[in-house]
Amino acid sequence: MRHSMTALGALALLAASTSLASAEDTIKLGASVQLTGPSANTGRYYRDAYQMMVDKINAAGGVKVGDKSYKLQLDILDNQSDVNLSVRQYVQLVSSDKVNFLLGPFASNFALNDSSVAEKYQVPMVQGGGASTEIYTRGYKYIFGTLPPADDYYASTIDMLQKLDPAPKTVALVAADDSFDVSVAKGTRKLLKEAGMTVAIDQAFRDGAGEFASILSQIKSAGVDAILWSGHETDALNFIRQMKSLNVDPKTFYSFTVGVPTADFRSALGGDANYAFGMTSWLPDESLKDKWYGDASQFAKAYSDKYGYQPDYHAASGAADLETFVYAIEKAGSLDPKAVRDAIAKSDFDSLYAHIKYGENGQIVLPQIVVQIQDGKLVPVYTDKILNKPQYPIPAWGKRG
Amino acid sequence: MRPLPLAIAAVVVVLLVFVPWLASDVMMQFAIDALLLAVLAQAWNILGGFTGYVSFGNSVFYGLGTYGAAIAMAQFHLPFWVGILLGIVLAVLCALLIGIPILRLRGPYFAIATLGLAAAMGAIVSNLPIAGSNIGLVLPLIRADTMFYELSLGLLVLCTLTVLWVSKSRFGMGLVAIREDEDAAGTMGINTTVFKIVALVLSALFTAVAGSIHAYWISFIDPASAFDPTLNVRMVIMAVFGGPGTVFGPLVGSFILSAIYEYLASSISTAAALLFGIVIVLAVIFMPRGLANMIGGVRARGPRYFLQNIRENRL
Repeated sequence: MRHSMTALGALALLAASTSLASAEDTIKLGASVQLTGPSANTGRYYRDAYQMMVDKINAAGGVKVGDKSYKLQLDILDNQSDVNLSVRQYVQLVSSDKVNFLLGPFASNFALNDSSVAEKYQVPMVQGGGASTEIYTRGYKYIFGTLPPADDYYASTIDMLQKLDPAPKTVALVAADDSFDVSVAKGTRKLLKEAGMTVAIDQAFRDGAGEFASILSQIKSAGVDAILWSGHETDALNFIRQMKSLNVDPKTFYSFTVGVPTADFRSALGGDANYAFGMTSWLPDESLKDKWYGDASQFAKAYSDKYGYQPDYHAASGAADLETFVYAIEKAGSLDPKAVRDAIAKSDFDSLYAHIKYGENGQIVLPQIVVQIQDGKLVPVYTDKILNKPQYPIPAWGKRG
Repeated sequence: MRPLPLAIAAVVVVLLVFVPWLASDVMMQFAIDALLLAVLAQAWNILGGFTGYVSFGNSVFYGLGTYGAAIAMAQFHLPFWVGILLGIVLAVLCALLIGIPILRLRGPYFAIATLGLAAAMGAIVSNLPIAGSNIGLVLPLIRADTMFYELSLGLLVLCTLTVLWVSKSRFGMGLVAIREDEDAAGTMGINTTVFKIVALVLSALFTAVAGSIHAYWISFIDPASAFDPTLNVRMVIMAVFGGPGTVFGPLVGSFILSAIYEYLASSISTAAALLFGIVIVLAVIFMPRGLANMIGGVRARGPRYFLQNIRENRL
């Protein structure tokens, strides 16, 4: 059986190829991120945000533990958008590369699997790439996250709608059938019920289908006041285009979970993007004060100067994960995983992303900022109070200038 | 099979049993993944290798095994072995249900019919509340890589012994006869439908258990990961690379390809997928009948073996 022996040899070779000495005065942070493959486009936000934050913190003198100063070292591996590979890489980071702490990958399904590694080895992981509530309902102790829960995405929007005149009474809820958007729809249904609004149309569509004619004609004949939509960006673009071509006019309002904050969305739709409501957990605003960059707008500027593209909430969330570690390590005054874990749980500080404070389950509590496109510009409208006057109700397609 | 290779195989298995006490944690992750993939390739081999019915739908059984374990453990808090049994029952039922109609199709039509299976089952599962709909299920977390390794190894040995039995039995001869000429096999008194269905059921059984083990090990599953379409392609490539219709070919093929993939992924990450593709293209050009065939061919004809393959491919 020469074949089996060859295979065994190959296995042994692999075992030998992974080893890295850890230096005395560095703190090693590890992450496996989608740098290639289908999710690489969003994965880059995390790599770039982690790297930029680490460079900045090191330039400012590093992290103080007691009276000793440590430099941060970042180990990023490419999981090629493959979940099984990413789990193996996290095990490698923890067991053979001996990283002190873990940063997260992008996307909920990755975070769900990878966080099990953090829990098994009891190494704290702070991740800014997965919003699914499932990550936090398993009773894990070592996983924290800076994306707000999917169930609450429409909370601030519905809150705002009740304060507007006329407040919508009937709603069409349209959501994609992937796990994230199903969570959004589930949470939104509950929120709408509590707010006393009627869900007149409740439709799921196949993620990426791009075809909404039948859903839109139902909405049209039901004559709803508002449309709340949840899905991915290309579908959002198609939905708006088809709304216009089929002349579907909800009486007062429509909003999307994604797309609206991005520049691509506005350039793809041109004038048709106007009046659309949306949401984001982060805007590069000067009101978000930060220890390293001063404020979020300066972070955004430094980021786009360095990498040539605008950061969005993914990048800011990734940066906040690093800030959390620095905060917690300095608070704990030690590199002991358990002590740092306890300090993370007690986090309470301002970052360029948001005020960082984790809930009992490890997930951040953070309202979405309601945004609207007004005359081609993105305007923040509402968080827990009106920030700028919304253009409301949205005029019908035929009555726009 | 001559006695010597069998003796060596037995020694290798005994050595592999002790790997967990020597290997690092990273190595264990790789080994479990590689063993489970080898089970998939070997299980595929029972139908695809011996009867020549190329299935691109085996991940449907893998997914059902995954969900069997997950539903039993996450929804009903039953022990793991009950989950494995549930997975087997689901997969075998599914194999019977789809095998009876579509195994009547021959050649490329069978392959086409299997293509949609995994996607269809994924869509069904994502609408079942008991299976966690599209959100997925979370299994209890357990830190027992050694157990998962030994289970995977045990499963692979069992699966390989089954293939060994198939290759020597009257049943296996029947399968090969179907591959060579199905009409002639029928004339010779082989109930081809029953033979093919039994082969599919055996294949489904082992695939499902691999899925159950993977589910408990990874501790979270959703329809996208359970009914992963790329898995179908991978098991076919591994089995064909090693040598379909042989006992050890699929094992060697899957171990070598897993090792190459892992090495490329960790050393030259960005080009890994590309290089992996090149390895497969080269393999198809130079050794279309797999490693097992190449070993014999090169021994008999030397480098002319490769030239002959190129000529047969009309390159």
